[in-house]
Amino acid sequence: MNAFGKYWAFARIAATEAAAERATLYGRALFFAVILGVFSALWRAVAEAGMPLAARHQDMVWYLAITEWILLSAPLRHLEIQEQVRRGDVAYQLPRPVSFPRATLAQCLGMLLVQAPILGVVAFGSAYAFTGTLPSPKALLFVVPFGLLAAAVLAELYVALGLLSFWISDATPLYWVASKLMFILGGLMLPLELYPRWLQIVAACTPFPSLLAGPGSFVLHEPGDLALSLGLSLGFWALALFGLVELLFRRAVLALQVGGG
Amino acid sequence: MSFGNFKFVWALFTTNLKSVTALRGSFLLSMIFMALNNATFLVFWWVLFGRVGGLRGWQGPEVLLLFGVSAAGFGIMAAVAGGALHLSRFIDEGALEPLLTQPKPTLLYALGCRSQASGFGDFLSGIAFIALSGYLRWSTVPLVIFGVLASAVIFTATCVLLFSLAFWLHRTHTLSRQLLDITITFSLYPEPLFGGGLRLVLFTVIPAGFVGYLPASLVRTASVADAALLGFGCLAYGWLALRVFRSGLSRYSSGSRFGIFG
Repeated sequence: MNAFGKYWAFARIAATEAAAERATLYGRALFFAVILGVFSALWRAVAEAGMPLAARHQDMVWYLAITEWILLSAPLRHLEIQEQVRRGDVAYQLPRPVSFPRATLAQCLGMLLVQAPILGVVAFGSAYAFTGTLPSPKALLFVVPFGLLAAAVLAELYVALGLLSFWISDATPLYWVASKLMFILGGLMLPLELYPRWLQIVAACTPFPSLLAGPGSFVLHEPGDLALSLGLSLGFWALALFGLVELLFRRAVLALQVGGG
Repeated sequence: MSFGNFKFVWALFTTNLKSVTALRGSFLLSMIFMALNNATFLVFWWVLFGRVGGLRGWQGPEVLLLFGVSAAGFGIMAAVAGGALHLSRFIDEGALEPLLTQPKPTLLYALGCRSQASGFGDFLSGIAFIALSGYLRWSTVPLVIFGVLASAVIFTATCVLLFSLAFWLHRTHTLSRQLLDITITFSLYPEPLFGGGLRLVLFTVIPAGFVGYLPASLVRTASVADAALLGFGCLAYGWLALRVFRSGLSRYSSGSRFGIFG
């Protein structure tokens, strides 16, 4: 079996497992729809007081639909990696003729391919139901590929967090920190242009705006102007995180060998 | 509830407290991160109110008060009756069986047998938000205490109702948790955002009105009607939770599980 075939098999199995765990996915979908409902009401109230940026209140609901779609679609693999490390299961996987981090990434992509379309339909349906408007077809054309790429990069970030559990017993606090940074610096609920200038500068130095606010902004601004810079930024962070994950795993394997497993 | 049961709840709480604080680092980390988690949410309002003066009569202090009451109420529930968040797992795994033979009420035992360290973080950050809102004054202290305790009681009753779904449907933990998250989500946003029909839902099917808006309104206006309605809400949701749990328990069947519970 060639390298692609091996990792494709990992992706396929993970996709089948994700499809079987419907209750979790439906729960996420329900929560997603409620969040959009709440924010639709919130932005209507904001519009009454005067929109703080050059966008309609309906566009803000679509913005949130996109950022939440990316966030909820990305598989939270760090918990499973942590359990594998804790149980010592990683040691069994070392002699296999596959790279553990790449197999994990393939699993994430497999899960993403199941979760993203379902949550995408929920995002689209709910946002349309709450706003009665649609973004331009051009914006949607940009949102889908960039959103999927952003969710894949986010999944790789979670893999990196999971691998840190080789050194710290519980990586959950790191996940909490990352999710809070995503909330604030990623512009999960508010576009970054509403933030104070200093916070925008801090956010620009992190991967978070490219993951959420970037794809979300396609419904607020002309997509053509943003696509190139966002594509480059996402590509950079994808490569950086891929390299980081490989490096972390190599260091972890060394630590395992030194420590005797 | 008899005095004996109060003593029992206190004993469970102090035992749990010793248990969760045994790993001091982990306890502090959970507490601090939960407080930070809550503070993060306020960044949204800080940015929004920095750009928009107010929303339908609500400004920063009102949102802080609402968030504080909900967080403190949820925190008390998670710290004192943390078992409520695990009830569906107890039911699915047959873990209620050892409790059925205990001399104390099964529900009381199930609720009090767990304490979430993050609940202490929720409670402390909630109180801090109430203080920051400017509504915590000597004259409002009794109202804040009553409001937060009522919120905790209704949160507990809501958890019992939602997590008791496992008596009828199996493997419902995720679904119940998501339904609870929906209640929490609604309770953190100003009530005037929502229209008439939805507002009715928020005071009935989803008790978001009783865990957040009403206690916050009581602190702000010191209204006797709000206090009476909140007291009624506690009794009604508490009664309903008890009925549903008892009804579920009557159909609970053994899993032939052998183990030690505690």
